[in-house]
Amino acid sequence: MSSTFSGDETAPFFGFLGAAAALVFSCMGAAYGTAKSGVGVASMGVMRPELVMKSIVPVVMAGVLGIYGLIIAVIISTGINPKAKSYYLFDGYAHLSSGLACGLAGLSAGMAIGIVGDAGVRYGLLPVLSLFLLIWLVAMVDTVIGLLQVKCSLLLCCKEIHLHSNLKVIKIAGPLQQRLLSQFTKHLLEFNIFFSYCFRMNCVEPEPQ
Amino acid sequence: MGDQATWSHALVKISPYTFSAIGIAVAIGVSVLGAAWGIYITGSSLIGAAIKAPRITSKNLISVIFCEAVAIYGVIVAIILQTKLQSVPTSQIYAPESLRAGYAIFASGIIVGFANLVCGLCVGIIGSSCALSDAQNSSLFVKILVIEIFGSALGLFGVIVGIIMSAQASWPSKAV
Repeated sequence: MSSTFSGDETAPFFGFLGAAAALVFSCMGAAYGTAKSGVGVASMGVMRPELVMKSIVPVVMAGVLGIYGLIIAVIISTGINPKAKSYYLFDGYAHLSSGLACGLAGLSAGMAIGIVGDAGVRYGLLPVLSLFLLIWLVAMVDTVIGLLQVKCSLLLCCKEIHLHSNLKVIKIAGPLQQRLLSQFTKHLLEFNIFFSYCFRMNCVEPEPQ
Repeated sequence: MGDQATWSHALVKISPYTFSAIGIAVAIGVSVLGAAWGIYITGSSLIGAAIKAPRITSKNLISVIFCEAVAIYGVIVAIILQTKLQSVPTSQIYAPESLRAGYAIFASGIIVGFANLVCGLCVGIIGSSCALSDAQNSSLFVKILVIEIFGSALGLFGVIVGIIMSAQASWPSKAV
């Protein structure tokens, strides 16, 4: 009974709440992105029905965020197994932070994709070149934040603590990965800002009706 | 174990059945809230647009059905969760294993409830713009419906994770 169950008693509360946060907030972001872009697509489609199928891009990108949240939630909830591996408060808090990182990053990415997608399909598809910029911008936002989301939460999930010899040994999954990740995202963010500036220059104001 | 952390002092005293009951209630209550919210957003736009274009009414009821499906997901998961409840002997109620089962059902209910809430909202907003653009140009209906299908996948994500997590809700056996 209690010999097969090691670790702190209330640690699974934080762990499960982390998985819940991962999925719920990512779904909130995905829903915001889908709804806001969808309204933009419908409004634009009244004037230009042939461009509707090309403008589904922000909607698909927003849906991907929900899938990221699903993956992280499943990884976290199958990692809470106090019978097989001892589950201390440290692991509970690590899972909570992982889930919150994933979820809140997904929420912000979804809101960004929603606003950018709405503006982009309404104003940006009129010149043909802007379709490319729209896709690039949305893909940048999605990959940057999605990458941060998934990588940070996986890094947080994989922390293990060995309580053998005086709490000396903490194994983190890849310190080299962390350095590479921060450099990569820094460059991606610079590109993102540059292209969003280009895109903004290219936006055409709709004629007043 | 756990004496140094003050959150644990409060959490350990709450019965796992409290958490389970709240989880099941949130699963169905908040899902139905999301479905209702979506239906009233879609329905009011649909009825208003149908004044000038009565042909849209029968096709656009699909949007209402997508919102209703969200409520049905909530009902299904609530029924599954309440079959996971078992009675344990009084000495075992605060055992670590039963505490974990209570937390699993609670988190599962929260996941399903709030994922369905945002899914219902999303499908409702897209359904309303679908009705309005269909009234203008009937070739747009199927295209906007594709966006609505992407939106309704979010509720399914919640159901999947909720069911996976509810498999973790194993109460201690009555043997000891």
